Amino acid sequence: MSARDAILGRLKGIAPDAAQAAALLVAPERPAVDEAALEAEFLARLALPSVSASHDAIDSMADLPAAIRRYLDAQGEDRTLCLPPDPRLAYCDWSGFTLHDVAAPAEVAALAIARRGIAETGSLVFETGPAAPMLPNFLALHHIVLLATRDIAPYLEDAPLPGAQPRAHYWITGVSGTTDIEGTYVQGAHGPRFLHVILLRA
Amino acid sequence: MTQQVALFVTCLVDLMRPRIGFAAIRALEAAGCDVIVPQGQTCCGQPALNSGDHAHAAALAKQTIEALEPYAAIVVPSGSCAGTIRCHYPEIFEGDADWLPRAQAVAAKTYEVMAYLDEVLGWKPESISIDATATYHDSCSGLRELGIKAQPRRLLKAIDGLRLAPLAGEETCCGFGGTFCVKYPAISNAIVGEKADAIDATGADLLLAGDLGCLMNMAGKLHRDGSTVRAFHAIELIAGMGDGPAIGEEP
Amino acid sequence: MSGFDTRAAAALADPLLKTAVERTAGTAEAKRTLAVSAFPDFDAARTRAAAIKDHVIAHLGHYLEQFEANAIAAGAQVHWAATADEACRIVIDLCKASGAKTVARSKSMLGEEIGLPHALAEAGIGRIETDLAEHIIQLADERPSHIIWPAMHKTREQVSALFKAKHRTPHEEDSIAAMAESARRELRDRMLGADVGISGANFLIADSGAVCTVTNEGNAELSLVPPRVHIVTAGIEKIVPSMPHAVHMLRMLARSATGAALTQYTTFYTGPKRPSDPDGPEEMHIVLVDNGRTKMREEGLADMLRCIRCGACMNHCVVFRQIGGHAYGGTYPGPMGAVLTPALDGLAPNRDLVHACTLNGKCQEVCPVRIPLPTLLRGWREKSWREGLEPTSMRMGLGLWAWVARRPALYRLVTRLALRAMRLMGRRGWIETLPLAGGWTRHRAMPRPAASSFMAQYRKERRP
Repeated sequence: MSARDAILGRLKGIAPDAAQAAALLVAPERPAVDEAALEAEFLARLALPSVSASHDAIDSMADLPAAIRRYLDAQGEDRTLCLPPDPRLAYCDWSGFTLHDVAAPAEVAALAIARRGIAETGSLVFETGPAAPMLPNFLALHHIVLLATRDIAPYLEDAPLPGAQPRAHYWITGVSGTTDIEGTYVQGAHGPRFLHVILLRA
Repeated sequence: MTQQVALFVTCLVDLMRPRIGFAAIRALEAAGCDVIVPQGQTCCGQPALNSGDHAHAAALAKQTIEALEPYAAIVVPSGSCAGTIRCHYPEIFEGDADWLPRAQAVAAKTYEVMAYLDEVLGWKPESISIDATATYHDSCSGLRELGIKAQPRRLLKAIDGLRLAPLAGEETCCGFGGTFCVKYPAISNAIVGEKADAIDATGADLLLAGDLGCLMNMAGKLHRDGSTVRAFHAIELIAGMGDGPAIGEEP
Repeated sequence: MSGFDTRAAAALADPLLKTAVERTAGTAEAKRTLAVSAFPDFDAARTRAAAIKDHVIAHLGHYLEQFEANAIAAGAQVHWAATADEACRIVIDLCKASGAKTVARSKSMLGEEIGLPHALAEAGIGRIETDLAEHIIQLADERPSHIIWPAMHKTREQVSALFKAKHRTPHEEDSIAAMAESARRELRDRMLGADVGISGANFLIADSGAVCTVTNEGNAELSLVPPRVHIVTAGIEKIVPSMPHAVHMLRMLARSATGAALTQYTTFYTGPKRPSDPDGPEEMHIVLVDNGRTKMREEGLADMLRCIRCGACMNHCVVFRQIGGHAYGGTYPGPMGAVLTPALDGLAPNRDLVHACTLNGKCQEVCPVRIPLPTLLRGWREKSWREGLEPTSMRMGLGLWAWVARRPALYRLVTRLALRAMRLMGRRGWIETLPLAGGWTRHRAMPRPAASSFMAQYRKERRP
């Protein structure tokens, strides 16, 4: 007998009622979010010490390069950027930047476009796809994220997008951190030490 | 109208500190109860239960149920013994058609003494005074099995001149654990050592709690460490017997 | 002395261990308290979390098949292992088939449980532990002492010395930030060069076939995206019906473990990379591991299968806080370990674990899935008694005492004599040494009992 048959043989039972599983999700306890002020709620969470993200806001995609330039200059970093192959970014004027699309092991800054923002936790939701590699978002020292304010949703339950699931659906809620030495929190463990969110208010 | 209650003394109070039993009687009588001490009682069986000795735990539970079931209410000056009767007797007789209903009936009318005075009778000590600062340790079984937290504090607040100093880690186990403290003495000692330090740090004159096992553990450690903190069961103060000898003192 | 006693004695004698455990567990306890008080009705949320897991455990076979079908549909390969050895063999065979020389591992307690680090070493496959704490443990050649903070037993000074001895370009400044930076330098190129990435799973999502991992460091993603092969080893109890169920469990997990609202990185992997994806592994393998779980479900330990490995029970355990995790001797320490280890490794060699607990109930109070840990430990004690594993002295002593206690008249007589004898041992209210009670009087004094028992005094004073 295969291990599969042996295990499943011991777990035989009646199939669950789908309604029973759904009933477990009625009115879940969760932090209160003011749905009339999602942007403010999201930004408040973003500023928590556990998330430690900075933010900026722009009114149109055309302003994106200038916002990134502002950030990198303020950080004292070169205007070098790992850019995903997303067609929406092709219309921006990237003059003055050194761009590449494959992240280096010691990547300084990478841009990504979040699919959603979650007000409950200040989380940024990403999905892998042809125009959205995953690795740069974990390698870069500075992770710069573009998020349209209309994509901010109240709760983590709102994170999944409809349709077929991508290889990876992931939530980033702050910078890479660790408490592995004496429980003391330090930032920049293996991944980004800085997280900068640029809100697109168009 | 007089409420008749049976006192389950507990083996530890019976043997080690009878005045806790007399304090319980005095407070219950002050609250208008007619207190009866059923003679067939010895130990509730908790040591056997916690050691995995189901047969002896069940035998002692049966004896205790038989001794206590004739009475309208059973009052116990110990959170852990009251918890054994209330929470664990029905577990012991799970699936036993004869004994389960009897265990459940006794469980339903068994109370820790301070919870009974405060919650059931709505009583408060009157014209009792003592000039002292006390700190209170929440014994685990009473706290977590019976929800005893506010009741003793409400009763103690009604004592004139008694000041309560909060104990850091008041809900942290003192390391007694019944047979645990003699099976794993070094671990128990490390735990009670920290507890004794926390008690000393309150600057209180008195240590109060609701379980004699925990009190003997903490008082024994405080004494060995040379502390001057004196330990009483809270019911002793509530009954106006706080002027007598503390645990380990002789008149 | 038993193995446990020896290990516990060594732990108690180590002042650095106490400092280290207190620093991390103390911080975790304080942060959890804040997080729980800020959450609306955490107790109701615990009840819901327990109900979700109970539902899954009751219908485990169904959900596993649903998960398997969806994972396969997404392009993953699903393997089943009845035992730890079988699970290791599957992983090693997969590594060998892909010609792997090194694997990057993201912390997984299941991996520890099945002995994967050892199996990889035996197969000659290099292992890069990417979680900072697991990296410390690997450098020190030790075992984890906590399920969330495997290196909890080490002080910053010890970690600093270790990194200075073992890292290629160690930190100079003695700060924790500088040590973390040293590990980042040491690990990054090595983890990017691994041939296989191995992770556990915090949750398996039945209706999508997704595997969820959570980390605060981002090491899971850095270990699992670059290699050509991603292998997941997961206990079969890790299933939840759907993503919203996982969301509820994630809220509970982070708050209970570290006091955070959520981990920094929460990733759901569904199958291997799609053909048009710029990165990700070509192959994804999921090894579903039983290793005693179906047996636990059948033999009265189904409640334990709710465990989501948050570590709150050990952070709040007075015994764990004194002796740390290594004293427990198994993969899982603290209260949950005391329940699990006898199920995984047998009761006889782990009899001490189920007794070295004061049954104070704090663990149950903080458990996010309401596991009645004291009740389960009592269950083990009963089994130990039934199977004759308890020492003869204990059996005889308890038996004799119970025999007397069941005869109230005899009991009064015997206790009267015992009290008299005890009183002879003490003076001025205290007994400093007491025969047969050395465990007590070695560390604390025993109050001298009154001259006569309550029952004797009561009978003298009034008639019932």
